[in-house]
Amino acid sequence: MNESMLGIINATYDFSSLQALTQHRSLAALPFGGRYRLVDFMLSNMVNSDIHSVAIFTGHKNRSLMDHLGSGKQWDLDRKRDGLFVFTPNSQGDNEEFGSFNHIARNMDYFLRSKQKYIVITNCHIVAAMNFKPILRRHIEAGADITEVLHDGQSLQTYIMEKDLLLDLFHQYKDKGFHSLIDVVKEQCSTLCSHKYEYDGYVAIIDSIESYYKHSIEVLKPEVWKQLFMTGEPIFTKVKDQPPTRYGKEAKVGNSMIANGSIIEGQTDNSIIFRSVKIGKGSIVRNSIIMQKSQIGENCVLDGVIIDKDVKIEDGTILTGTAGVPYVVEKGTVQGALMNS
Amino acid sequence: MGQRKKCVAMLLAGGQGSRLSALTKYLAKPAVPFGGKYRIIDFTLSNCVNSGIETVGVLTQYQPLVLNSYIGIGSAWDLDRNNGGVTVLPPYSESSGVKWYTGTASAIYQNINYLKQYDPEYVLILSGDHIYKMDYSKMLDYHIEKDADVSISVIEVPWEEASRFGIMNTNEDMDIVEFDEKPQFPKSNLASMGIYIFKWSILKEFLEMDERNPDSSNDFGKDIIPLLLDENKKIVAYPFQGYWKDVGTIKSLWEANMDLLKGDSTLNLYDRDWRIYSVNPNQPPQYIAPNAVVEESLVNEGCMIEGEIQHSVVFQGVTVGEGSSIKDSVIMPDARIGKNVKIERAIIAPGMIIEDNAVIRPLKNSEDVILLADEI
Repeated sequence: MNESMLGIINATYDFSSLQALTQHRSLAALPFGGRYRLVDFMLSNMVNSDIHSVAIFTGHKNRSLMDHLGSGKQWDLDRKRDGLFVFTPNSQGDNEEFGSFNHIARNMDYFLRSKQKYIVITNCHIVAAMNFKPILRRHIEAGADITEVLHDGQSLQTYIMEKDLLLDLFHQYKDKGFHSLIDVVKEQCSTLCSHKYEYDGYVAIIDSIESYYKHSIEVLKPEVWKQLFMTGEPIFTKVKDQPPTRYGKEAKVGNSMIANGSIIEGQTDNSIIFRSVKIGKGSIVRNSIIMQKSQIGENCVLDGVIIDKDVKIEDGTILTGTAGVPYVVEKGTVQGALMNS
Repeated sequence: MGQRKKCVAMLLAGGQGSRLSALTKYLAKPAVPFGGKYRIIDFTLSNCVNSGIETVGVLTQYQPLVLNSYIGIGSAWDLDRNNGGVTVLPPYSESSGVKWYTGTASAIYQNINYLKQYDPEYVLILSGDHIYKMDYSKMLDYHIEKDADVSISVIEVPWEEASRFGIMNTNEDMDIVEFDEKPQFPKSNLASMGIYIFKWSILKEFLEMDERNPDSSNDFGKDIIPLLLDENKKIVAYPFQGYWKDVGTIKSLWEANMDLLKGDSTLNLYDRDWRIYSVNPNQPPQYIAPNAVVEESLVNEGCMIEGEIQHSVVFQGVTVGEGSSIKDSVIMPDARIGKNVKIERAIIAPGMIIEDNAVIRPLKNSEDVILLADEI
């Protein structure tokens, strides 16, 4: 049986509630889990499901995403046949809804040239280690036209269907008034048989600062990180040549995830520390997320904060937030002790 | 025929490293893990690429499986190049039979065709056994400036240790006038680091001369250098300053790992301008559990630490169970340490499984370091 799949990742989402973290980057490139970017999860899921051809549709702010994806080599998608395809928006298509059939259909050639029978369509703000093969199997067994993946009854906007059906939908969208797959699935009475697949593994949907914070800290629970990282199907990401993390004499670390290249001289508790972060002597980092290359000086106290990339926190600074309203320090800024009193 | 190159490096990586005992049973010495994520050869390969030398022949012979697959096409060091890059050079058979590399010089001689295709001006000869950061381009500049036939990199060693090294006796211009292999009464404390730059024409001539001598042991130190001195060739010493360590024994391998934990370590792994590249495994960040303790240590990705780590180097994929304590030790990749284990002054080989409640430490007051490796 031909069970080959093509993967589509809609990386055009942009939630205004995440503005502080996505001002300079696409949501797909939002750092997560100490060394990943959000897109890594679905991209790895596809590769781990033997999908060898993946197309990513991006929005306008795609510099960091493009830099991250490169040739696709890290996901083994740097291939002579198939591999990784990135489709950036047209400058003319300003008014057009991202992720609409019209938007996708503009790259029709990709779909026509691909030989795969099935297609998986998903997005990039879902953190899960999800294999699509069992979902495809169920889709075939159920004789469905479209299978929609749900978690706890909520749509993950992840669909499986035959590629030919998608091509038909492209052609018909004007007549039928369907603009996107969401419309098609919502339209229960349509002639298409749509099937719901309830995915019961771990899922995090990142659509606001609170959910980003909550799910980031949640990764520290062994049952969560085991479901994400210990499944035997690795989450791939762009690797960097960082030395191991160095812990100083006075370092105190508990319940934390720490990526390579960091130098920890102070204290961290219940936190996610990305690559090449420095935490100075006497500083306490608690319930916080510190993104790559940020430098925390000495004798600082950070509790309930999200520090974006390349931030410098000067000695003696105290910053606090709560789980409901984490304090966010934007990328590349400097925070001094007196600035936030 | 490749494009002509100014300088080609030949990296001798065929050594067994028998003094590393069980660690090198299935592994060539240059492939031995070091520093929490690296293999020994990463330092030499990174030095090459950081020095702008992008054509490197790696000569392998002993237990090459891991080493060869580690090097691959060299992409980890950015040495996958259209012209040049890294080439693994194993011994091969020809119509007259199989020729094993019998010495360092014979290994280069047998790959003379590799060098001929690049027709370089200079050949840099390296060994894959040492931990150091060095800019070879500076040594090449020195070699050219001195118009030397051969330059040998030397480092000052403590006088009391000089008799363990190949010692270079020089005049005031740093010309080498005499070479003493492990002298009982050293006249100088300048030790050869096993790094040579040859004029390619001289190298070719002397390798051929050495090959014709049936009594030669085909070794650079023992045969080629004395022969060059006899022929009055200009050999100069290039003084190197900085961290350099031969990690040929269990003790020195352990010491070099411990050196990385010193705050003022002269071997700075965090220098972004002189990165040490390696094959990066795709592993999640390390997880440090609520009751764990990690102090004065290097810990790599993919580890799960529930116990206590003090003054130790922990490689990727290691798990340390609750109640265990690890001190002054090196835990190599994917080792699994159970619960309530005590480890002190030990090297735990890759993939070892240490059962709950085990105690691994040298006898009291002993200066020894324990190596725990699978003997099978």
